[in-house]
Amino acid sequence: MAERSTTRPDHVLEDPGAQAVASLYARSFLGAANDDNVDELNSFIDDVLKQNPDFRALLVSDFVGRDDKLSVVDRALAPQCSEYFANFLKVLIRHGRLDLVEQIREVVRQLREERAGQRRVQIRSARPLSEGSRSQIAQQLKDKLGFDPILQESVDESLIGGLVIQVGDTVYDSSLRTRLKTLAGRLTERTFNEIQSGRDRFSHPEGD
Amino acid sequence: MKFKADEIASVIQKEIEDFRGQIQTAEVGRVIEVGDGIAKCTGLSSSMAGEMVEFSDGTRGLVFNLEENSVGVVILGDYLKITEGDEVRSTGALLSVPVGDCMLGRVVDPLGNPLDGKGPIISSETRPVEHEAVGVAGRQPVKVPLQTGIKAVDAMTPIGRGQRELIIGDRKTGKTAVAVDTILNQKGSGVKCVYVACGQRAASIAGVVEVLRENGALDYTIVVAATSADAAPLQYIAPYAGAAMAEHFMYNGQDTLVVYDDLSKQAIAYRQLSLLMKRPPGREAFPGDVFYCHSRLLERAVKLSDELGGGSMTALPIIETLEGEVSAYIPTNVISITDGQIYLEPDLFWKGIRPAINVGISVSRVGGNAQTKAMKKIAGSLRLDLAAFRELEAFAQLGTELDKATQQQLDRGYRMVELLKQPQYQPLHFADQVIVIYAGAKGYFDKVPVAKVQETEAQLLEFIRTEHADTRDKLVASAELNSEVEEALKGALEAFRTRISST
Repeated sequence: MAERSTTRPDHVLEDPGAQAVASLYARSFLGAANDDNVDELNSFIDDVLKQNPDFRALLVSDFVGRDDKLSVVDRALAPQCSEYFANFLKVLIRHGRLDLVEQIREVVRQLREERAGQRRVQIRSARPLSEGSRSQIAQQLKDKLGFDPILQESVDESLIGGLVIQVGDTVYDSSLRTRLKTLAGRLTERTFNEIQSGRDRFSHPEGD
Repeated sequence: MKFKADEIASVIQKEIEDFRGQIQTAEVGRVIEVGDGIAKCTGLSSSMAGEMVEFSDGTRGLVFNLEENSVGVVILGDYLKITEGDEVRSTGALLSVPVGDCMLGRVVDPLGNPLDGKGPIISSETRPVEHEAVGVAGRQPVKVPLQTGIKAVDAMTPIGRGQRELIIGDRKTGKTAVAVDTILNQKGSGVKCVYVACGQRAASIAGVVEVLRENGALDYTIVVAATSADAAPLQYIAPYAGAAMAEHFMYNGQDTLVVYDDLSKQAIAYRQLSLLMKRPPGREAFPGDVFYCHSRLLERAVKLSDELGGGSMTALPIIETLEGEVSAYIPTNVISITDGQIYLEPDLFWKGIRPAINVGISVSRVGGNAQTKAMKKIAGSLRLDLAAFRELEAFAQLGTELDKATQQQLDRGYRMVELLKQPQYQPLHFADQVIVIYAGAKGYFDKVPVAKVQETEAQLLEFIRTEHADTRDKLVASAELNSEVEEALKGALEAFRTRISST
């Protein structure tokens, strides 16, 4: 999640409805775009919107009329970018969806990676990974799951040891924390059983 | 007793040595919205409807709605500890509850966690809460009686093992009492009982548990409690959990009895869940599938075929009506699902006729085949006689002069009504019921003042038990009122008549 670009705080999750809309625009955008256009999209967000928050506020705001926004794009951006990208921005503005542009970028990135046979893999470990183990993990993931993994690492000391690997919605958990938790559960269960059988041994079978 | 510390230590040591942590694979999602016992989650892309999920704090949930971009989960437990962004983990398993003999005598919540403070429940077996009912081939007709121990029920609306008999009535008409008496009467009959309290006050559940315990009925009973303070999801699954616990015994060839107290509260809990899940409301704002919600539950009550072990599950669902309104949505639904109903009326209740069963509109569609022959013989005309009496009674209130025959019919009617009264928590053996009803129908109580009928009834039973025990034993053994038994009974009753008239 670290690379997800969003203006909202990290713990607030994306609205699945907005996500669905963003995915629709992203697919359409990619359908006609070339690599330059994608670079333009990235640069538009990183170099224009991020640097000039006021400009973003202007484009997203409901106080500014659609026609005014369109003419701003025509004057300020169109001369500097391809016609295709300018049109894309105008479509977003006309439909009132410019606030989704960051999410669209995210989906575009994902789709492009998928097309290149790559997938993001989140790896949580107790300590930073060494270069050797990193490449080993990448190789094993590639062998087992059949795609080129892009590793996103994060360090979580509460895991104590081991790794937690997340691919899409599936989590492979081999951390020491989880193992200890399982062991604790098993131990209490076994002890309960032992205590119970001990009690049965001492008590009258018909009850007291 | 003492535990041997080194014994337990060695068990723990062995467990640790043998422990090989497997990599846990799970599908995860995140909570995007939580409130009112409901969580909306993203991810969980291959979760199934009805699958159990686990939140990061260990609370369990049930996948309820599968939507295009999200999954609706009902939270079985405290939802206030779950926050937006929490991880949800799928378990790949359906919601199940522990089952088995270790559950008997326990009070548990709908997930099988103990509520009675008697320590953890150690059960090796579990059963899915939702389970498909047996098909047509796996069933056989209801033939064996389930004795409720209540004269009015066993005589006029008999219940067979595997039947579904609805107990319906307004608040405070003794619905729970009928069900609890039935549980008490199963003592010694080998029938395992499950009492599901759904949406009841915790105090009344505690009261029922106490009654069961005092009468020694808790030894063969499981109490599943979802109080009105519990979250709606728990109230919703409580009857299914109770059914699963009974099914375990049923599929092992045993007879079981399940009381659902009450299904109108469960329907309300289900309505709450459905509305929060934004399912469209229908009549009385209940969702469209509330009928299915009850029919699939009650369809699990069966008499299994001999190939499947011949076990049975008898269901006694309870429905509370408002102001006697049986044509409301839920009552009509459940009436149409069940094999008959016992209708309790507040008017009768306040007149002192308890159990307040309206014999006119209470029916049992299949129980007749399950009645013992003796009871069938004497109860055959009872319902008609009582109906005729009610008519006469209404007529007699006009103050007209009555001829002798009519007056006699009226007098006998009053005494029969009196005989069908029965105090709470005192179920009667079927032989005693037969003796009492036979005596009443043959006019042995005609000379007894109405106010003294119940007292005399007790004396009669005492008399038979002490001085004519052989007659009663014969009746119990044959379960039939053949000429031999009938003659002996007549003789005993004559002796009793002279006895009471002389004192």
